[in-house]
Amino acid sequence: MNMDKPVRRVAIFGMLLFFALMAQINYVQGSQAEKLQTDKNNTRRFAEVFNSPRGEIIAANGEVLALSKPTGDDNPKYGRTYKDGPVFSPVTGYFNGGASKVELAYNSLLGGTDKRITHQRWFDTFIGKKAEGANVELALNPTAQRIAHRELKSSTSRRAGAAVIDVRTGAVVVLATSQDFDPNEVAPQTGSKGGTRLAQLDNAQGVIKPLIDNAMSQTFPPGSSFKIVATALGIEDLGLNASSTVDTSPLTLPESGQLLPNSHDGGSCAGRAPLSGAFAESCNTSFGRIALDLGIDKLSDGAKRFGFGEPVRLDQDIRVATSDVPKSIKDVASGKDIPTGKDGTARSGIGQENVRATPLQMAMVAAAVANKGKIMQPYLVQNVRAKDQSSLYEASPKLFSTAMKSDTASQIADMMREVVSKGTATNLQGHDIAGKTGTAEQGAGIPNARWFVGFGPSENPRYAFAVMTEGTGDGAHGAGPVAAAIMDQVLKK
Amino acid sequence: MPSLGDQIRAHLPYQRRNAATLALLIFAMVLTLSAFAEVGLARDGHIPQGLFLYGGGLVVLAIGAFLAQARFAPYADPLLLPLAVGLNGLGLAMIYRLDLDTSNDRKIAEAAGKTFLKDAADASGQLMWTFIGIALFVVAVFIMRDTSDPDAKLSFTPKTAQRYTYLIGLGAIVLLLLPVVPGIGAEINGARVWINVAGFSVQPGEFAKLLLVVFFAGYLVNKRQAMSLIGKKIGPFSLPRGRDLGPILVIWFLCLGVLFMQKDLGTALLYFGLFVSMLYIATQRVSWVAIGLGLLAVGVTIATMLPFMGHVNQRIDIWRNPGPYFDGGCLVAGKVVPVNPDTDIFKRTKLVLQAKAEEYEKAGQKAKAANARLIGPGFYACTNTLKGEYSDSAQLMKGLFALGQGGVLGTGLGQGEPWRTPLSFSDFIFDSMGEELGLTGLMALLLCYALIVQRGMKTAVAARDPFLKLFAGGVSFVLGLQVFVIVGGVTRMIPLTGLTTPFLSQGGSSLMANWILIAILVRMSHDARKPAPQAIQDEGMTQIVSTR
Repeated sequence: MNMDKPVRRVAIFGMLLFFALMAQINYVQGSQAEKLQTDKNNTRRFAEVFNSPRGEIIAANGEVLALSKPTGDDNPKYGRTYKDGPVFSPVTGYFNGGASKVELAYNSLLGGTDKRITHQRWFDTFIGKKAEGANVELALNPTAQRIAHRELKSSTSRRAGAAVIDVRTGAVVVLATSQDFDPNEVAPQTGSKGGTRLAQLDNAQGVIKPLIDNAMSQTFPPGSSFKIVATALGIEDLGLNASSTVDTSPLTLPESGQLLPNSHDGGSCAGRAPLSGAFAESCNTSFGRIALDLGIDKLSDGAKRFGFGEPVRLDQDIRVATSDVPKSIKDVASGKDIPTGKDGTARSGIGQENVRATPLQMAMVAAAVANKGKIMQPYLVQNVRAKDQSSLYEASPKLFSTAMKSDTASQIADMMREVVSKGTATNLQGHDIAGKTGTAEQGAGIPNARWFVGFGPSENPRYAFAVMTEGTGDGAHGAGPVAAAIMDQVLKK
Repeated sequence: MPSLGDQIRAHLPYQRRNAATLALLIFAMVLTLSAFAEVGLARDGHIPQGLFLYGGGLVVLAIGAFLAQARFAPYADPLLLPLAVGLNGLGLAMIYRLDLDTSNDRKIAEAAGKTFLKDAADASGQLMWTFIGIALFVVAVFIMRDTSDPDAKLSFTPKTAQRYTYLIGLGAIVLLLLPVVPGIGAEINGARVWINVAGFSVQPGEFAKLLLVVFFAGYLVNKRQAMSLIGKKIGPFSLPRGRDLGPILVIWFLCLGVLFMQKDLGTALLYFGLFVSMLYIATQRVSWVAIGLGLLAVGVTIATMLPFMGHVNQRIDIWRNPGPYFDGGCLVAGKVVPVNPDTDIFKRTKLVLQAKAEEYEKAGQKAKAANARLIGPGFYACTNTLKGEYSDSAQLMKGLFALGQGGVLGTGLGQGEPWRTPLSFSDFIFDSMGEELGLTGLMALLLCYALIVQRGMKTAVAARDPFLKLFAGGVSFVLGLQVFVIVGGVTRMIPLTGLTTPFLSQGGSSLMANWILIAILVRMSHDARKPAPQAIQDEGMTQIVSTR
């Protein structure tokens, strides 16, 4: 009995085993590789990012705000250093494997994994050399940002935020917050200490949350600064104009019978005045009436043209907190929708009730006024360059929305100039800016949200700004000087 | 019709292929040395110190092995030795890459006064074992030399082993039992398959594997006619007589029993496959293979039901769905509850255990306190709170992540992070290779193994002696099966069971046993490929036949 045949069959079976192994490895390394690389349990995807230098984040004047330096250690190989971390953190964000803001939104470009880099450097990828991270250049004016940070911090013991945008392009020039954190404290080189610090920042109790900036990630009642929106809608939907006479006498709210007060009952607010006068002196009752005439639906839908109601997105993926003029709110306890009634509509018209806005949103409102009714899509990053200086991305100004007609915008611009020349913000004369004050009550025992929203230069405006600080007193004195200081720097030639 | 073996022999060149061996061997050496150089350049920025010392040592030994083969087994298959040297060399380079004690960063840090635990990957140890392994190959080829002197000293060819069939079977059992003996046995990584000899940990199972092949071959050659011809027919199956199958079944069950006691499932699977395949080669009965596979299924089912064999069940479950088990999972009533450090139950249990430890400390019970601190909260939560079975798939998953990282072309030697996988230098070295050499490199490695197995199988077919045929076939198949079980395990093709990856894994026993295996194949291929003794025509009907 010969054994050659069974030996050959066993040999063939052995070959089949090897073929099976080869097929499995092809499956795992060929088609499953990407899935395995991004598996939620795979810690490599975090560690990988520490093994090569990230690109730099650079301000508009060429100042390097964030850069990677070798640690001389094995893990992480590269750390991240931020210049004036607390000042620029609302824009740069942090990076420690996880990331926020520009560090997050431009992670693939900064980290060198973006297809725009890897395709260009396909040969490097082929020979296993890692593509280098690209440099991200911001539109940010670092000097103005520093002044904004300093002024905001000294203006309040609570929260304050400021945003300045270029009205013609939408470029964000200043985005500052009073409550800050230093991204250096949580950078990769800090190891587990940084992780603990980040968790501590993240779990911060109370009203001041360091990781959430006040310029774009936090909403506040806009108060009278919202009258810019109400006025625009009044002109366009109710046929008013700057010289139309409006009732500035005390308004009895239709549902509760309470009085909606003015801040003062003299001057324009004494009974009847042109719309421009009521605007300059910020007579609440006239705008309450405009809101009632519009109704909550028109008020809310009209505000959407300015960016309210939907989260605004900066650049690729940086979400701005949603500013809103709600038609109804959900009651947390009962889960029912409570519609905004007539009283609420009147109060919404003066930026109270449930109206909320980020400083960035209010800067967009001012930008509409300054730019003939057109709001440009705001963005942070001007361009991205690979290490060989080739351009990978360049911001192209895009229209965000047309908020109002050009004529409406120019009428409101005049009114905003009057605010400074003879209205509520005469204390700011001497600065080349125009704007609208706002002083929003936030409830008993909580300091006011003080706003100054406007543009500069006063004639042929180029930049729109919004400043919000929390504290006692009014917008003209609480926020106005901060805005003036920032704009003086922004407008400096 | 001439048999397959005759056909193959008719086409064999019957030439000495020593030049081919040498050329291939030089290629294997160049490959190894380049791998070392690449590791050094990529990891430390310079060519490793001692590359020429170690490399030179390796070259001298490999040349020695070549000379021994050319002298004592000149007709040997030219591929076997270079393939083994290449695999061994690449494994050594990978272990050097994983041994961070040899890295520049570590040396600088140590010079700066930092202290480290010794890295578990041990490049210099593996280098020593490689030297010993190749030396063993030389010695083995010498002992098994082809000599015309029947009483030559120290001569023990593979054929001689047939005389000691039962003694060798007994030896296999003894070797397998050694680790269970208290005093010399040692448990490492949950499997009790080690013994301590003169300060070294030896895995006797690696050698038992070879002895078992000899025993099966010797026994089956004698009994195969009886087994396949005489027997009872039950349905489609024809069963051999008890007295024919009995001894082999006894030995086989003994082996499996021992292995189950040692929780060494991989080796059990290996022996099972070896047994079934050799039985099939000897008897050509497909029905017996079917019976064997049926027995395996029954065995595994029983094992999953036995409470103390719970880990069998878990292994299979982890294989099917490893995700929830990552960093700790708990099988409760057929469902997996994660108990990894991110879960609430883990955090709660951690606090409970801490409180307990502090309580013990206050009461002055230091031993109990230390114990409470040592228990993994995930394990404790699973076994005490959830009353389930605890298991952890992190190792398997990390190995797969390494493969995923490597992709098609790999990160390049020294440029990946294979050290992230536990046991990346032994059980999971194939995944480490996959990360740095990529799919491409793994295909090449598998081809090397496949070539060794096929060359062995060809030797078996071409062998003239039935015992040597079975011996060569069994040895080749067991090597292929071992590669399949461990590589299939670490690539999640089959449930993971611990086995060494031949020639690649760190470990002396495995290297020595595999080098002996190659020596045996070399010797047998020499037998098969050398020209048959020619009949002296003038002598009429008388023929001289070599029995060695």
